[in-house]
Amino acid sequence: MSQHILRTYDDELMEVRSVVVRMGGLAAEQLAEAMQALKELDTDLAEKTRQGDKQLDALEALAETTVIGVFARRAPVADDLREVVSALKMTTMIERMGDYAKNIARRSMSIAEGQGVILMPHLLEDMAAEAHEMIHEVMDCYVKRAADDAIAVWERDEQLDNMYNAAYRQILARMMEAPEQIAVLSHYLMIAKNLERIGDQATNVAEQVYYAITGDILEEARQKRDGAASESVGE
Amino acid sequence: MLNAAIESENEALSPPKMTIRDVHVHYGDIHAVKGVTLDLRPDQVTALIGPSGCGKSTLLRCMNRMNDTIADCRVEGQVFLDGQDIYDSQIDVVQLRARVGMVFQKPNPFPKSIYDNVAYGPRIHGLATDRDALDEIVEASLEKAGLWQEVKDRLDQVGTALSGGQQQRLCIARAIAVNPEVILMDEPCSSLDPIATAKVEALIDELSARYAIVIVTHSMQQAARVSQKTVFFHLGEMIEYGDTTQMFTAPREDRTRDYITGRIG
Repeated sequence: MSQHILRTYDDELMEVRSVVVRMGGLAAEQLAEAMQALKELDTDLAEKTRQGDKQLDALEALAETTVIGVFARRAPVADDLREVVSALKMTTMIERMGDYAKNIARRSMSIAEGQGVILMPHLLEDMAAEAHEMIHEVMDCYVKRAADDAIAVWERDEQLDNMYNAAYRQILARMMEAPEQIAVLSHYLMIAKNLERIGDQATNVAEQVYYAITGDILEEARQKRDGAASESVGE
Repeated sequence: MLNAAIESENEALSPPKMTIRDVHVHYGDIHAVKGVTLDLRPDQVTALIGPSGCGKSTLLRCMNRMNDTIADCRVEGQVFLDGQDIYDSQIDVVQLRARVGMVFQKPNPFPKSIYDNVAYGPRIHGLATDRDALDEIVEASLEKAGLWQEVKDRLDQVGTALSGGQQQRLCIARAIAVNPEVILMDEPCSSLDPIATAKVEALIDELSARYAIVIVTHSMQQAARVSQKTVFFHLGEMIEYGDTTQMFTAPREDRTRDYITGRIG
């Protein structure tokens, strides 16, 4: 797209974009660290992840200030308006991803410190890999202004939902088989939900990326097949 | 494609107050307006935007034949007011300009009293039978223009002594006084401060319930604030026509986007 006559306007929009991209990268990193802490029951790494969430909070605040500045000085319209409105919404979504990663880190500490430690179900590792990839891909779409790829990320959420449903059933079955493990398995159930929510947020970001680029609303075309969603497993 | 959009809109809405069909304007060898087709609704504000020299003011001036006064100006195509061709030789141009009033960039009150500024049109068009009727028209017009409370105790004061914003609202009152059906505004706020601008915009908003209003403006924010429809012109061509909200959030044409966002096209 062509440049603004006022170069400083371009600079400000670049600053907004740069904060969004930094937040996306940080959220992916937070997730990876939280999952490593969980896998290795490394409480130091879990604590580091928890503290890392503050960086995301600070970046979200920076994005907000920058976007408000753009509104006040530039009165953006058309593509610029969509860009800054979407950026503001995306930073909130990415910050939520960080919160979910923090929750996973916190639960890994509880598991490590608790009685009767059991190993993480493999499905959670697969879910985390999927969620991690979704974050990377959606940020890639944002940087490359690739609306069609954003649709692909959005559609990918179904796969993560299916994985969540499988993990949910598997953990529930293990709870029934070994009621004495319910406490620790509950943590894993919540972690599965956190991972599924990260995927939802990545999907929401994909919608914003699509809107920012095209000006069209990406309608949800598929039925969520989250059979477990109706059950009270959220936190 | 633009014409098709206008045609399809016609099927859904009440009849337009003014219909412009394939209008071309030439100033000597210069082709200033190139085949514009546009409908103006009776209860809508339409904003004409575009860079200087794009033909928007020229088109505005076609709507009440203000271009007639320019020696080498040639207008082709048709402009209908309630179905009647305003370029028909039988048309009384003075009557036409009462029905299609105009407010200019710079407030231009007559060097007369506030009262006489507003009473001028009704007098020459014979709209008042006696002084009481004229008083009523003057008061009602100033009231509609949001100026009555500010000037009611000094109607004998010369209009040019008012502030810029008040002078512009006086000019609007003057236009309203002859019961127009369409009001044309050519950058009506360009010489006004933000408060006076806000008052004129509030007035436009209020008047839009009764009149078809067309406003030429260089302020994108003003176009976005006051209009329901926006038309973007470039080099004499109508590039895009649409709902103002759509135009300012997701314009269809790159040239529109480049202009309203301040990009180098």
